Amino acid sequence: MTAYRSAPATNPREAADWSTGRVIRTNLRAMFGRAYPRIIGLSREPSWLFFEIFLPFLAVSAFVFVYRALEAPEEYIGFVVLGGAMTAFWLNVVWMMAAQFYWEKDQGNLELYFTAPMHLMSILAGMAIGGLVLTSSRALAVIGIGSVLYGVSYDVNQPLLLMGVFLLTMIPLYGLGMLFASLFLLWGREAFHLAQLLQEPIYFLGGVNFPLAALPGAVVGVVMATLPLGVGLDAMRQLAFADSGVEGVLPVGTEVAILAAMGVIFLIAARLALGYLEHLARREGRLTLRWQ
Amino acid sequence: MAVIAERPTPGSVRGITLADSWRSFRTAIGLGWAIESNWSDPFLFAIYTLAKPLAAAMILVVMFSVITGGQNPEFLQFLIVGSALWNIVFGVMGGLVQSILEDRERYKMMKYVVVTPSSLFPFLLGRSLARVGISLVAVALTLGVGVVFLGVEFRPNFLILVPASIIGILAVMSLGIFMAGWCLQLRQEAWSYPEAIAGALYLISGAIFPIDILPSFLHPIAYASPTTWWLEASRRGLLGHGSPGSIGDLSDGVVMLLLVVSTAVAIPLALAAFAWFMKRARQAGLLDMTTGT
Repeated sequence: MTAYRSAPATNPREAADWSTGRVIRTNLRAMFGRAYPRIIGLSREPSWLFFEIFLPFLAVSAFVFVYRALEAPEEYIGFVVLGGAMTAFWLNVVWMMAAQFYWEKDQGNLELYFTAPMHLMSILAGMAIGGLVLTSSRALAVIGIGSVLYGVSYDVNQPLLLMGVFLLTMIPLYGLGMLFASLFLLWGREAFHLAQLLQEPIYFLGGVNFPLAALPGAVVGVVMATLPLGVGLDAMRQLAFADSGVEGVLPVGTEVAILAAMGVIFLIAARLALGYLEHLARREGRLTLRWQ
Repeated sequence: MAVIAERPTPGSVRGITLADSWRSFRTAIGLGWAIESNWSDPFLFAIYTLAKPLAAAMILVVMFSVITGGQNPEFLQFLIVGSALWNIVFGVMGGLVQSILEDRERYKMMKYVVVTPSSLFPFLLGRSLARVGISLVAVALTLGVGVVFLGVEFRPNFLILVPASIIGILAVMSLGIFMAGWCLQLRQEAWSYPEAIAGALYLISGAIFPIDILPSFLHPIAYASPTTWWLEASRRGLLGHGSPGSIGDLSDGVVMLLLVVSTAVAIPLALAAFAWFMKRARQAGLLDMTTGT
């Protein structure tokens, strides 16, 4: 383990006057420190592995069997498997990003975050990076098992673009999680119920188990403007099942532009919400009260 | 001051009579409802409570519409009824397990309930009843949406529906009681087990697709589960006909018999298992354990 070293200060004012480099280094350390338990959790807690693969896989299987009972074309099975994998990311965003600050408050960690010499965005970025790495393994497992077990065949003509769209989807998705983290904390005891509310209704609106274009136009319009899960999934389906004949809501290029815009907007909104949260924390002090 | 101790007579020890259990049960109902609902105003509470089951049903409706274009209304009825009734399984299993885990780990009250003269069992049942009640509202709402907006036609047969509902809910409660006892033994992820077990049962009980679609090695498990027969009997009681597939060819009498038999096996097994789990929890010091999950 390396000790944290810096030049000894001669007075308190000098000690508090950090260089830009030191601020960046400290925030990077905070980010990696927060990401570490999630990444190391990959190997340390096998029960996570079971539940995070098993639960999405159960849901995927149920919807696959519904399509089989309806004698749907085979590409719909692939839609469900891909949607199930993306569900793992959404669940991670809801439970391990959005609700996380609320749990941290309950456990007494939140005041430590506020008093530590780093920006809260570093903590959120660490949670996002750790969650992304953790969940990617689960999502890959769901896709692998689902594809083999249910015989899904993919028609990928542009693999690099598909990978790019996936990564681009993650930015607004986790940006939304960062925004929700502050909002959930403000809304207090409703956090658990909010997290519940953000599951099935979002799976429905995001077209996780069916083509998004099947929803009424007005609903699709709202989804395209607000829900990165729906936009990203629609674009990825167009790229992963290029010859399926099922059309997306918008061309992939347009959806990529929407995702990029969402990424910027959600990250800025998360930054503003955190600023407001910090203001409240200092003014009212109620953010350290458990169960509120 | 002199204290006169009243000497209890055998059979009159407070906390073990039926009246005391009933009082414990009633109090726990009030407590459960306060915990479930006191965080929000009723309107917001209704939205949170009802959006989830409605969205779950709408996912199935859109999948059905995309593939069939609205043809095969019998399958839509099958989907709506299965999706609606499954809320009871989530409500009962989730209610019982969450109650026992919340009281142990979050509110840290279970050890105090256990040391009172009253039994934990009526308290647990009452404590979870709020979620069961909410799930019944979700059932009614989902069925109502099916009738009003999706053209689902009910031809109720109360001679089947009423006994099927009573026996079926008892069967689901027995599964929930078993799960509640089991979750007390777990070190990690106890909160996830109800969802996992309910999800697995959802898959094998023919809730949203006929059992024939399942791989054949899962058929015996599906036929052994009381939830399979409860759903099938309820469909016959509500819709006037059975599910698509081989199970639909069975007579009403056979379906009811299988429901009664599977439930009659499940209930004593669940009660015995719960008693054993509680005994083990006392011996192993699990009643005030905090898993940190």
